[in-house]
Amino acid sequence: MTSLTLRNMASRKLRTALTSIAIILGVAMISGTFVLTDTINKSFDDIFQAGNQGIDVAVTPKTVAGLDGIDGPQLSMPQTLVKQVAAVDGVAVAEGSVSGQVSIRSPEGKAISKGPPNFASSVADERFTAFRYTEGRAPSTPREVALDASTFDKQGFRLGGPVTVVGAQGATRYTITGVVRFGDENSLAGASFALMTTPEAQRATGQAGRVNEIDVAGDDGVSPAELKSRVATALRGERVTVRTGQENADKQSEDLKKNLSFLRTALLVFGGIAVFVGAFVIYNTFSITVAQRTRELALLRTLGASRGQVLRSVALEAAIIGLAASIVGLIGGLLLAPGLTQLFSAFGFDLPSGGSVVQARTIIVALLVGTLVTILASLAPALRATRVAPVAAMREGLSEGEGRRRRPYFATLLLVVGVVLLCLGLFGNGSGGQAATLLGLGAAVVFLAVALLSPRLVKPLAAGIGRPLQGIFGLSGLLARENATRNPARTAVTAAALMIGVALVAFVSIFAAGLTGSVDATVDKSFTGDLTVMATDGFSPVPEGAQAAVAKVPGVGDTTAFRFSRGKVRGVSGTPAVVGVDPSVARTYKTTWKEGDNDVLANLGADGAVVDAGSGLGDKYKVGDRFTVTTPTGKQVTFTVRGLVDEGDFGVLGGGMVVSTQAVVEDFGVRQPGMIAVKFDGSRPAPEVRKEVDTLLERQFPNAEAQTKEELKKSQSDQINQLLGLIYALLALSVIVSLFGIVNTLALSVFERTRELGMLRAIGTTRRQVRRIVRLEAVITSLIGASLGVVLGVLFALLVSRPLEEEGFVLTFPIVTLLILLVLSALAGIVAAIMPARRASKLDVLEALAYE
Amino acid sequence: MPDIVTATDLTRRYGEGEAAVDALAGVTVAFPAGGLTAIMGPSGSGKSTLMHCLAGLDTPTSGSVTLDGVELSGLGDKELTELRRDRVGFVFQAFNLLPVLTAEENITLPLTLAGRKPDQAWLDQLIETVGLTDRRTHRPAELSGGQQQRVAVARALVHKPAVVFADEPTGNLDSNSSEEIQRLLRQSVDDLGQTVIMVTHDAHAASIADRLLVLADGRIVHDAPAGDADAVFEVMRGVTA
Ligand SMILES: Nc1ncnc2c1ncn2[C@@H]1O[C@H](COP(=O)(O)OP(=O)(O)O)[C@@H](O)[C@H]1O
Ligand SMILES: [Mg+2]
Repeated sequence: MTSLTLRNMASRKLRTALTSIAIILGVAMISGTFVLTDTINKSFDDIFQAGNQGIDVAVTPKTVAGLDGIDGPQLSMPQTLVKQVAAVDGVAVAEGSVSGQVSIRSPEGKAISKGPPNFASSVADERFTAFRYTEGRAPSTPREVALDASTFDKQGFRLGGPVTVVGAQGATRYTITGVVRFGDENSLAGASFALMTTPEAQRATGQAGRVNEIDVAGDDGVSPAELKSRVATALRGERVTVRTGQENADKQSEDLKKNLSFLRTALLVFGGIAVFVGAFVIYNTFSITVAQRTRELALLRTLGASRGQVLRSVALEAAIIGLAASIVGLIGGLLLAPGLTQLFSAFGFDLPSGGSVVQARTIIVALLVGTLVTILASLAPALRATRVAPVAAMREGLSEGEGRRRRPYFATLLLVVGVVLLCLGLFGNGSGGQAATLLGLGAAVVFLAVALLSPRLVKPLAAGIGRPLQGIFGLSGLLARENATRNPARTAVTAAALMIGVALVAFVSIFAAGLTGSVDATVDKSFTGDLTVMATDGFSPVPEGAQAAVAKVPGVGDTTAFRFSRGKVRGVSGTPAVVGVDPSVARTYKTTWKEGDNDVLANLGADGAVVDAGSGLGDKYKVGDRFTVTTPTGKQVTFTVRGLVDEGDFGVLGGGMVVSTQAVVEDFGVRQPGMIAVKFDGSRPAPEVRKEVDTLLERQFPNAEAQTKEELKKSQSDQINQLLGLIYALLALSVIVSLFGIVNTLALSVFERTRELGMLRAIGTTRRQVRRIVRLEAVITSLIGASLGVVLGVLFALLVSRPLEEEGFVLTFPIVTLLILLVLSALAGIVAAIMPARRASKLDVLEALAYE
Repeated sequence: MPDIVTATDLTRRYGEGEAAVDALAGVTVAFPAGGLTAIMGPSGSGKSTLMHCLAGLDTPTSGSVTLDGVELSGLGDKELTELRRDRVGFVFQAFNLLPVLTAEENITLPLTLAGRKPDQAWLDQLIETVGLTDRRTHRPAELSGGQQQRVAVARALVHKPAVVFADEPTGNLDSNSSEEIQRLLRQSVDDLGQTVIMVTHDAHAASIADRLLVLADGRIVHDAPAGDADAVFEVMRGVTA
């Protein structure tokens, strides 16, 4: 039987290849993701190891679990602790280091990168850093810097020449005195560095009198562990964590892995979707071949093959295809990893890169997923093969065994289960991760259920789509429609594979349109200023000095800074967003009050808070109540509720609670504003003031830009669309897989209809007409999938937006986008039909008609 | 009467070298308009090959074919296809209908392919003649073998082709249905003035023909008026002996 299986596969190379592609793409995405993230991890691990090599003990500010993510503020400690540490017995050297994000400008004055961050760091003792000078020397005055070799070379800087760095206080010109390499590397995972004297680094990063880490080297004979406990004792009572150098390196790696895990999960999800779609394609291919081989299988049964042997023969074929495809996919993943990096950078998200890392886990997961999915997907058809009755060998003109229509109890049940899972994910109170898992699972189950139900929908849908085609193309349209409905189960599964990709694209585009619309609506409703000032990248903070500078421009009336943070409140789930505002906020931002008025906002003081009535906080506290917030710096601060704002007000700013600038700076450690709202006083024409603000920013704060209300909306929606583009690109993978499914099904159908096609050709059907029949069948199939997909996408969007409505989310349907999606699907169908159509039209008439 | 189909020195060789088979080894024959010709011969004698070459389905290795005044050798696939569509009718042994189309749609297929509308009166008459008036909207799967072949005959006649080729049209049918089909083909010659060329193994079927051609080893070994079934039988015995 084994050799029969192998010979069967060999005789159908094309089909085997097409089936494999369905798995190859998904496996490539999964293994590519692992390779990519492992590579990033590895390059950072190396960096952390090198960076901590000469450090015996490191002291860092204590972090608060849940508030220490990438969006948390940069934590620091008073510089006075350095002296305290230096005084500890056994400490040879203690040095405070400072580092923070800045914007290094190219010689042309432009930002030097879109993605990898720029840092200003203090010059450190040789044993505490892996930076080594390849040219020049370390900076010794506040106006001198050293740059990393990669940035230096790429941007064409020269030693002794100038460089501008935009820090917390704005742009400063420095003289380049040196060039450094990091160990053997020219760059540190793509990031750029400007090394400065410690006081200048403190000034540039807005951390005067503070340090981010204290590095310690011990006297000879004192072990790092011993030194660690001595330092810890000396610093008892301070909000710091003391680690050995090795522990520090491990902690840094671990933090990075946490931050990367989102990227990894997101990419794996897209890979998983592609594999899921691939399973449909495999199921369908095996169903069709089993049906086509019915006579052969029956003959085998007549000759005495057992059911088990038949089952094994089909399963073996699946296992071989699955394994082979997984191996190819794995190799593809290796090639894909750099491609993913390219993809991200094309959409403005730069990732560091290095030599590819392939772990055993990557290989095992890739092979296992690909092989198991293929075997699982072929199981039902294999079982069907075992049910072929020996007598079927004798019967003439056998119809495919797919005609049986059971009542759709199971599919309906599955649909209900899927919807319940979705609702649990949406309305249950699981953590973000649990909710996402439930949503994903629910969506997958719904897709399955709809796929199972769809054979019933094929006839009416094909009629709806086919009628106009028949009107235009006549007989070809009619035949295409009839062919598509000849075997509803086959068409349904083929279409369902495409449906999944289309549903997700539709959902994402509807959701993005809703988001854009909601942001627009909120900006329109709330923003009453003339300009906003934000970082050009859209998420970095604005330099601290920008507000004062802008306020001095003649014609500018009020300026309000908004600072963003998060906190933890006992009994409230998650980490509510905290917005710190200036007293003048009411003049640039219109609040919709439930309780309280604008005076409340102007007089928040150190402990006043306004709470979003729609958030968890609003459910729990009334005006006058006091509640305690744990801030990212570890402080416990008690606030008094002074007012309640309407649900979702400040939502665009993050929701949760509003406190004073004083509180957010002192208690939450957020110094730099996320945004500054500007109101003109009317003394000069607005365009003039705007121009002057622009000139000011360009000169002093080139990493910030001013935007009018309309420009703000535009830039917000641009950002959303950029992300959308990336998601589309990733979803394209599963759409491509489903297209191969269409190719496969059509090729098999064409093969099956050889004789019919031969007759059509004999009685005068031109090649063109034959091609058109196949092409239109593909169009009908893909439009069935696409229309089901759009409907599902709309339903998903309706469902998912429900809980967000409280936060001001307004659902809008991007009709044009959805129509384009349908048109593109039809075109994709035509592309998928190219090969099968050509085969059909090239078919040898006499051979096709050959009598047996 | 002018000849509708002529073949001159037709040869058709399959394969090369040692293994080469001459399916046709020099056939020269002409078919005048009107009339029913039966082609007989042992299995493998080249009957199908001859038909295919005459109908522009197969390309002869040498020799020429003229169909309705058109010399076939110079034609490309597109011209041949259109020639078959417009001037040739086919009836095959296997009924070869499109399962997804109704009987009537199957019948009008050659016209639909050409983008022409059938003349309704003619179509009604034709369907009436083949006795399928109450089966017009049935699918092939709902028809008996004989009915299916009658659909095929109607399809071969619907566009009033210059010539109808039928390759063992009754090979898969019981005797009643066979007679029905033979009668229809005969009728198409007598009533409609069609030219029909039919391959058959059945002496009775051949006896309704006007002319009997017998092939053996790719050559015409007998060409004479058909006569009755016994006469045909005699001829065949002589040839195969
Ligand atoms: N495609 C082909 N390839 C090789 N040999 C062929 C092919 N078609 C027909 N033949 C050979 O040509 C000869 C005539 O075949 P055919 O015309 O089908 O005979 P008939 O219809 O009289 O039974 C036979 O020997 C047959 O084996
Ligand atoms: Mg034959």
